[in-house]
Amino acid sequence: MAKKIVMAKPEAAITEEQAEVEALFNSIGDGAITTDKFGRITRINPMAQRILGYDEAELVGEWFPKKIVALKADDTPANLIDRPITKAFLTGHSISDKMYYRRKNGQTVPVYVSVSPILIDDKPYGAIEVFRDITLEEEVDRMKSEFISLASHQLRTPLSAIKTYSHMLADGYMGDVTDAQKKSLRTIIGATNRMNELISTLLNITRIESGTIAVTPKNLHIDKVVEDVIKEISLMAAEKSITLSFSAKGTTSRAVKTDQLILKEVVTNLITNAIKYTPEGGTVKVSVKAQVSDVLIKVSDSGWGIPAHEQEQIFTKFFRAQNIVKRETTGTGLGLYLVKGLIDALGGEIWFKSSEDKGTSFYITLPRRQTTKTMGNK
Amino acid sequence: MARILIVEDDRDLNAAYVTILQSVGHDVVAAYDGKDALAKVKEFDPELILLDLLMPIMGGLEFLQQYKLLKAHPNVKVLIFTNMENSPEVNEAYKLGAHRCIIKSWTAPHNLAKVIDDTLKAKNTDNSSAAASAS
Repeated sequence: MAKKIVMAKPEAAITEEQAEVEALFNSIGDGAITTDKFGRITRINPMAQRILGYDEAELVGEWFPKKIVALKADDTPANLIDRPITKAFLTGHSISDKMYYRRKNGQTVPVYVSVSPILIDDKPYGAIEVFRDITLEEEVDRMKSEFISLASHQLRTPLSAIKTYSHMLADGYMGDVTDAQKKSLRTIIGATNRMNELISTLLNITRIESGTIAVTPKNLHIDKVVEDVIKEISLMAAEKSITLSFSAKGTTSRAVKTDQLILKEVVTNLITNAIKYTPEGGTVKVSVKAQVSDVLIKVSDSGWGIPAHEQEQIFTKFFRAQNIVKRETTGTGLGLYLVKGLIDALGGEIWFKSSEDKGTSFYITLPRRQTTKTMGNK
Repeated sequence: MARILIVEDDRDLNAAYVTILQSVGHDVVAAYDGKDALAKVKEFDPELILLDLLMPIMGGLEFLQQYKLLKAHPNVKVLIFTNMENSPEVNEAYKLGAHRCIIKSWTAPHNLAKVIDDTLKAKNTDNSSAAASAS
């Protein structure tokens, strides 16, 4: 929050107080820089000098956004309007963000920045920015992601063998099997499928969080993708006697240029969730509608819904609504967190409306054109 | 029926794929890494290669680079068979000329045979990124 400074002290007390403030400022373990109301640097503590590689004389008096070069994840300069210091001046609030600073020697350093405007008698006086070098945290994150990715792949290899040989046994490649044996083999196959789903979710989350998910846009017809998913999932709906329907609306084209696999993952997740959290005999409706600059996909169910007081947390990792936990014990709370991350990667938007015991509708919009990228951090 | 080279380092899985594809009449040879595959393609001259990506000694991507699929063997279909779906490695394989990617742990034997038939029937220009995920 903005800081208020009230100055009404005798001169000697001010000098002593200034020395104390100076000592406190210089002792901060993170980098700290203050500016005047025009954004010119007034003070820089030793840690900031160490992180950036500049000494005090090189920075004091310089315009902060020009001298301290901020970069985006793709190494291009951050827009002035997007920088925390600009936002803090414009909004009058404290702003925190992760970004990259260029050191004097040209190297890039990842930093976590927090900027607060300083107000005196409610008038802008300047700003203080505190930042820390997060190179080590980024490295730990990268190693964690690599470990999960490798562990997941290693888990899948024996799983592939279990599944393939179970199928071969059930399909009679090794001779005749009784109905009871077939039933047991189907149970094994079902369990390997669930394990595969979990590994896929973990892998995708790891990729999103480490910024290594590859988005490969191709021209595709959205109806076809959704219909393919519905065909694959229709048996799951039939098992619960749920009516699963599809409709396409709008006279303009529902063609989009996006990543087919990611879109399929998103739609699969939303429809399986809708089936999972709808009681037997309910309905799940999927529709696709062409809009001016995007395409809207809607997945509605007549299910148990999300309690109003928990709706804000719906896209948080490991979140499971209380009314669902009582009924359904197999979820991980990762599905919607993953869907949100994937939709962000596609440059789309997701939102929902829900009433407890009445049902939920999820809405996705996808831009008609998506550019190739690897999203996320460096 | 077609000449198919299976390149898979997991010997249990490799043996399973050989059994499945031979049962529908294909002529099948097994290789256990990229280097082994490079040695076997010379004599066997496959029409389709079922290729794993992560393998010891030589992985699938290096095999594709050395095999020079696009320039030297434009009529050979390569089907990537991996557990690394939606990964940069799969995109790289497409750039090197792979026709399709299927996910091992999702693919049932009867679907594997069907995907191979579809790939063999597809035109050479029809590189499809659609992963077969039917189980």
